Amino acid sequence: MKQSLRFRILFPIIVLLIIIPMLFPFLWMLMSAFKTQVDIISWPPKFIFSPTMVNFYKVFNEQNFLLYLKNSMIVGVGAVSFSLLLGLPAAYSIARFHQKKLSVMILVARLMPGISFLMPWYIVFSRLGLMDSYTALILSHILIALPVVVWIMSSYFETVPREMEESAMVDGATMQHAFVSIIIPLSVPGIVTSVTLSFIFSWNNFMFSQVLSMEKTRTLPIAVYNFMSYAEVDWGGVMAAAVAIMTPAIILTMIFQKYVVKGLTMGAVKG
Amino acid sequence: MKKIGLFVLIVAISFSLFAQGGAEEKQEEIRVLLANHPYGELLKEAIPEFEAETGIKVNVESLQESQLTQKLTTEFATGSSTVDVFMTRPLQEGLLFTKNGWYAPLDSYDFSDYPDPAVDIGKKDGVAYIVPLVTEWQVMYYRKDLFKAAGISVPTNFEELEAAAKALNKDGIAGFGSRGKGAASVTQISSYIYNFGGRYLEDNVAVFDSPEALEGIRYYGRLLGNYGPQGVVSMSWENLMPVFQAGKLAIWTDASVFYGQVVDPSKTQIPAEDVGVAQLPRGPKEDSPFIVASWGMSMSNKSKNSDAAKQFLDWATSKELAIEAMKRNITMARDSAWLDEEVRAMMNPGLIETQAHAALNGFPFDRPFMSAVGQARDLIGEVVIESINTKGTSSKLASLAAEKTQAVNDLLKADGEYGGN
Repeated sequence: MKQSLRFRILFPIIVLLIIIPMLFPFLWMLMSAFKTQVDIISWPPKFIFSPTMVNFYKVFNEQNFLLYLKNSMIVGVGAVSFSLLLGLPAAYSIARFHQKKLSVMILVARLMPGISFLMPWYIVFSRLGLMDSYTALILSHILIALPVVVWIMSSYFETVPREMEESAMVDGATMQHAFVSIIIPLSVPGIVTSVTLSFIFSWNNFMFSQVLSMEKTRTLPIAVYNFMSYAEVDWGGVMAAAVAIMTPAIILTMIFQKYVVKGLTMGAVKG
Repeated sequence: MKKIGLFVLIVAISFSLFAQGGAEEKQEEIRVLLANHPYGELLKEAIPEFEAETGIKVNVESLQESQLTQKLTTEFATGSSTVDVFMTRPLQEGLLFTKNGWYAPLDSYDFSDYPDPAVDIGKKDGVAYIVPLVTEWQVMYYRKDLFKAAGISVPTNFEELEAAAKALNKDGIAGFGSRGKGAASVTQISSYIYNFGGRYLEDNVAVFDSPEALEGIRYYGRLLGNYGPQGVVSMSWENLMPVFQAGKLAIWTDASVFYGQVVDPSKTQIPAEDVGVAQLPRGPKEDSPFIVASWGMSMSNKSKNSDAAKQFLDWATSKELAIEAMKRNITMARDSAWLDEEVRAMMNPGLIETQAHAALNGFPFDRPFMSAVGQARDLIGEVVIESINTKGTSSKLASLAAEKTQAVNDLLKADGEYGGN
């Protein structure tokens, strides 16, 4: 069917109208990251300027962002891996045996304000000598990642026909075996979705790392504040740091985007 | 079953890989929390010298100030903090920390080189808990070139200030700027309230609905409402400074701490010689800008290495480091640092003059001194915003101020701080 002329003209305009307000702050950030402090504050704003790399130099040389990047990676990957190890079987069990109460309990853990966990954690971790260790951070970030995995995956597993594993079991597989070799491979889109989302949540988390990390294990969101000191904000540095932080998350999302949409809608329609 | 066994093994191995710490050998070690502050930077640079001299290993972390407060509060509240020495803001968190017994008493510290008001803020029942580090006071930054072009002299009282703001408010340049964003404005409007004879608290009772205080709030609102930059009710220092640096503001009253950035050619578009710094004009009743100890240093009461911690505190607040800091335009609390000849030769005369004036006449608080200071600032901020939005003419300002005063008094009562001495 041919689209009407009006639609072909109007549609891009509407899309632009929606996109511009959303992208503008992002573009502003990107521009400011390449500006000097004087250019950032100049009024009227400069859209044509001679770009400088000095902010990125500060981010990676003076501030040691590679270490923070590594820390965020270890914590994010660690937390997501353990969440998958625990969450996939849990979600499967919830889906197959209709343990609704259990899934609500897991969600409640996510709904509670994070700060209420911090005090007990601090006590436990400092007594165990685990402060400033990846263990403490990964354990705390599992709280962020696990409910995401369980909720997305339990509704996803419900869409996998029960007959699949039953026929595997007829052929002599145990339930665990059927789960590992039949169900998991069938659920890759859902797993990718939950991995992407839970990794981004962990990547962006600020509060847990603020209290549980110290100099060695400081994560990226905390490090952005290195550019804000008392009575002074290095906007160029903040913007460059924000660009450095967002880039991996954006790349990850771009790669997995089609899975995310598929995974989310699969669960939504059938579950 | 094999699968489960394998699973447990994986978990166990990976955790033991990540786990660190545990038993470490006994070298004297202390943990120090600093703020992202120029003085914190200076300490970080100098710490290796301290370590070499004393053999004490110093583990430093530096954090942005609100993060620092939150981290300290969380750690101390659990009772198992490992912090030994830390930077602290006496006016913001001092009372709460003192009340909870989180600061260690500093009985043996020599406070003779500090101004009394700065030390008194960190005292409870005669015991000092905080060593004052940095002071700041209110100043007026102004554009010399604009004043000259308009043929007016630097205002010395509030009438002249208003006339100057009016005269300079043209050609896309705002005549007068000061913080207008609710809670943030509370510290900067304080000097205006004082100069009209008002106070936030008197004997721990909120009195900012007094006629004098109201006059100050109206005056501030009139100036900002008429001659302030656009959107001033959502502006704090981080918004106003860029406006001044971009040359779009003729007069800006704020804390002395911004001087260095206002004249730094890599941050500002106006040439340094066009920037003047003067004392805040005197008001009808008083001439007392705030002068506060904005940063101090303390030891944790729970410190397990209190000897090493005390050694570090003495070193970090020493006269030598104070003089070193003064040379970097950090305005220190130690009296003797201001008398050092070398320092006086290097420092901006405007800063030295306004400091001397404020030290002599100033008032040592820029906000209501109470535990619930954050909530109180929000409440007072609403009155300030109402005044700015109506250019100081609001007919319900008095009743609004009375209502908020009552609310602040309720906060004081709830914390058991109401009335008394």
